Amino acid sequence: MKRRTWLLSALGATGALVVGWGVLPARSRMGSPELMLQTAGDVALNGWIKIAKDGAVILAMPRSEMGQGVHTALAMLVAEELDVPLSRVRLEQAGADSIYGNVAMLVASLPFHPLDSEGGEKPTKIKMAEWVVGKLARELGINATGGSSSMADLWDPMRMAAATARASLVQAAASAWQVPAKDITVANGVMQHASGKSAHFGDMAAAAAGAKPQDISTKARQDWKLIGQSTARTDIPSKVTGQAQFGLDVRLPGMLFAAMHMSPVLAGTASSMDTQAALAIAGVENVVQIDAWGGGTGGVAVVGKSSWHARQGAQAVQVQWQNPSTALADTARIQADLLKALNTESGFTFHEQGVPTQAEKAAATRIDALYQAPYLAHATMEPMNCTAQVKDGKVEIWAPTQVPQMARDMAAKVAKVDKDQVTVHVTQLGGGFGRRLEVDFIGQAVQVAMACKGLPVQLSWSREEDMTHDFYRPMHLAKFQASLDDKGEVTSLRIKSAGDAITPRWMARAAPHLSGPIDMPDKTASEGLFDLPYGFASQHMSHVATKSGVPVGFWRSVGHSHNAFFSESFIDELAAATKQDPLAFRLNWLKDAPRYAAVLKLAADKAAWGTPLPAGRARGIALHESFGSIVAQVAEVSLEQGQIRVHRVVCAIDCGTVVNPGTVAQQMESSVIYGLSAALFGKIDIVGGVVQQGNFPSYPMVSLSQAPQVETHIVPSTRHPAGVGEPAVPPIAPAVGNALFALTGKRQRALPLVV
Amino acid sequence: MELHINGESRTANADPSMPLLWVLRDELNLTGTKFGCGIAACGACTVHVNGQAVRSCVMPVSAVAHQKIRTIESLGTAEKPHPLQAAWIAEQVPQCGYCQSGMLMAAAALLDKTPNPSDAEIDAAMTNLCRCGTYQRVRAAIHRAAAQMKKGGAA
Repeated sequence: MKRRTWLLSALGATGALVVGWGVLPARSRMGSPELMLQTAGDVALNGWIKIAKDGAVILAMPRSEMGQGVHTALAMLVAEELDVPLSRVRLEQAGADSIYGNVAMLVASLPFHPLDSEGGEKPTKIKMAEWVVGKLARELGINATGGSSSMADLWDPMRMAAATARASLVQAAASAWQVPAKDITVANGVMQHASGKSAHFGDMAAAAAGAKPQDISTKARQDWKLIGQSTARTDIPSKVTGQAQFGLDVRLPGMLFAAMHMSPVLAGTASSMDTQAALAIAGVENVVQIDAWGGGTGGVAVVGKSSWHARQGAQAVQVQWQNPSTALADTARIQADLLKALNTESGFTFHEQGVPTQAEKAAATRIDALYQAPYLAHATMEPMNCTAQVKDGKVEIWAPTQVPQMARDMAAKVAKVDKDQVTVHVTQLGGGFGRRLEVDFIGQAVQVAMACKGLPVQLSWSREEDMTHDFYRPMHLAKFQASLDDKGEVTSLRIKSAGDAITPRWMARAAPHLSGPIDMPDKTASEGLFDLPYGFASQHMSHVATKSGVPVGFWRSVGHSHNAFFSESFIDELAAATKQDPLAFRLNWLKDAPRYAAVLKLAADKAAWGTPLPAGRARGIALHESFGSIVAQVAEVSLEQGQIRVHRVVCAIDCGTVVNPGTVAQQMESSVIYGLSAALFGKIDIVGGVVQQGNFPSYPMVSLSQAPQVETHIVPSTRHPAGVGEPAVPPIAPAVGNALFALTGKRQRALPLVV
Repeated sequence: MELHINGESRTANADPSMPLLWVLRDELNLTGTKFGCGIAACGACTVHVNGQAVRSCVMPVSAVAHQKIRTIESLGTAEKPHPLQAAWIAEQVPQCGYCQSGMLMAAAALLDKTPNPSDAEIDAAMTNLCRCGTYQRVRAAIHRAAAQMKKGGAA
């Protein structure tokens, strides 16, 4: 099936839903005051903004803070529009209404080539598809923090909500003072008029609630005072005193602790258990058999008076495990299966241009390469956990989650109560990286809580449980084929990849009501391959979606994370094969992609590309677009006692309009280290359904002494804000691999890198 | 069992083999100290015992009875931060923040012994893992705090 056919059928299927919808997305998400939590003394002006008696602004916050600085950045938008100091904006967890759903994340799942929109004005077919999916996403209202989409999604609705609140407040003051609204100025949350009249927001909030201001617009770019300024993050002070509350830090009166012990075989369950030894331990109170929830693995939970007692008990309980009915996962076999799929199946075509077969027939030279990447675990520093209380037909959960509504739905399903009877408190997340888009551990906690006689219970996983029961980044293989003519020019590029599709598996377990019987082509499988910016005349990119049975999930930057390694390493191979400098080769093929070229040049300039380095050091370069942002990196690499040493990484990014440049730099540094851990060490092996790596010694990550110095350079832009949390992950592995090639002459075609 | 934590005497009703980490977190509600790996590999659980940085997830509580235990809760406060905490804010170090209590306690033990550490000394002392990759800011913040303490005295 071709991309066009699929899109048209998808449009046809959803078309019926869009009749009668005509409002702008941002305005359609303004919401009404009742959607906000009713708190005494505060006045809600819409679904996002409440004004406190003292004039402070309370913002409904639907997105989870997992280190990406999103709480600060989103609060900055509101502070800007309302002209209040950032410190006067307080956050309150948003409710479950669909206005808080993530529209941008779903729109971004459409498999369009980014160059189609490069010129500014998008082609009609893209606008139409995005409009339809946007409407659908708006209706579904799925609240998820993922896909580097928070700012892209909330940029308009939050600013519009704040601008509306401001206009209402000013109108209320104008009526009270009998002066024209346009003569009132606002600074530091205080409204003033030349007559000497002045009031803070709190004074006018009640009157503003009834105001109906017209023709509201957000501030013009040149009037911004806060947006674009490096701003200290508001969550940091509590994170240096130990006061920030993560999921594991929830403490409630009478709370019990539970330790999870799952089937060592993925997707297995407990068939029977002997609890005698566990219950004999003082401090162990109960053992509960736990079903497999949310696509996870079943097992037993041991409840005790502390996590320690519960863990002691979990080790003592004797369990008979039942393996899943499907074949047990085995990475060696899956690798062979993927290779076979690559050689025998045609897959789904995500991109085609020119006439590749013709170019291939006429080729003077052909360059072939096979690339591969292993399974990876997320390894968030805070292992999976959830605190739950089931009492009087109501469920309350406290969870570090990226998907609060899905957590609610899971809790309701397990406890067999209506969704309205479930309250979800989202804590700080000790890392997310996509792992907390899953709700397996939520279901477990609720099931344990049902056996705890109304007392709250905190269920937590050990590091070993966390690493051996992840939803892994899938293993992927990709075959590259380039044709060169007799002048040595590249005439065609063909890429076929194979690996499990993530989105359909995730939908099936996290949102089964949205999951269909047939897998839709999953953009995440081919992203980073089908959407390359290089202008080779003929291209063909396809993906063979497999079903290995291994639980696979979204791992920071998803398909881009391994596909960029494949594609940017192969581009480097083409530069070497045509005896060109890797930078010059890329720039030569980026003539129709000026934004990409500019990012690449900026990184190269700042890294002094082409200038001599000390003996034994080499540079590698890579360029990649993901989540709407373009990132280029130059890595300086050497070998120290046979180990790969990365000294310096120069990053350039075009992420559209920047809200907090400080956060952009933080995320570039973070992504480089996260991606480098995978490039140097990351590998999950599965034998007989059992994950072999269990803790940091067998699944290492970059340490302080191994960390390179990362520099960030931002390309100024007035485009819509794009992603920041993930786009710097993909280029680091190829940048380092390409530097190793420059250093050693050996091409790196598999992850992790080996010298 | 009698414990000396953050300058106070605390009674913990704990099994002697229970690691200090769980006594702090689950018995005494001092949740600033974090669980990361359970095998002393990541350092999220770092506290001070008689001024030494130790990994509390593998330290039986019986081994530290009558010793001076210090946790992140007593390093400093928002109003009166330790120079390291002030430096951590100035350098905007934390991201998710989960490993940062351990990082700060390891850094504080380092500066107590080595007031002006070199990069190599920081490398050797700071073996804590951070999945958000805050390392270069950790290094910068330690240097900043060291300079500040030299100028303005200790915390």
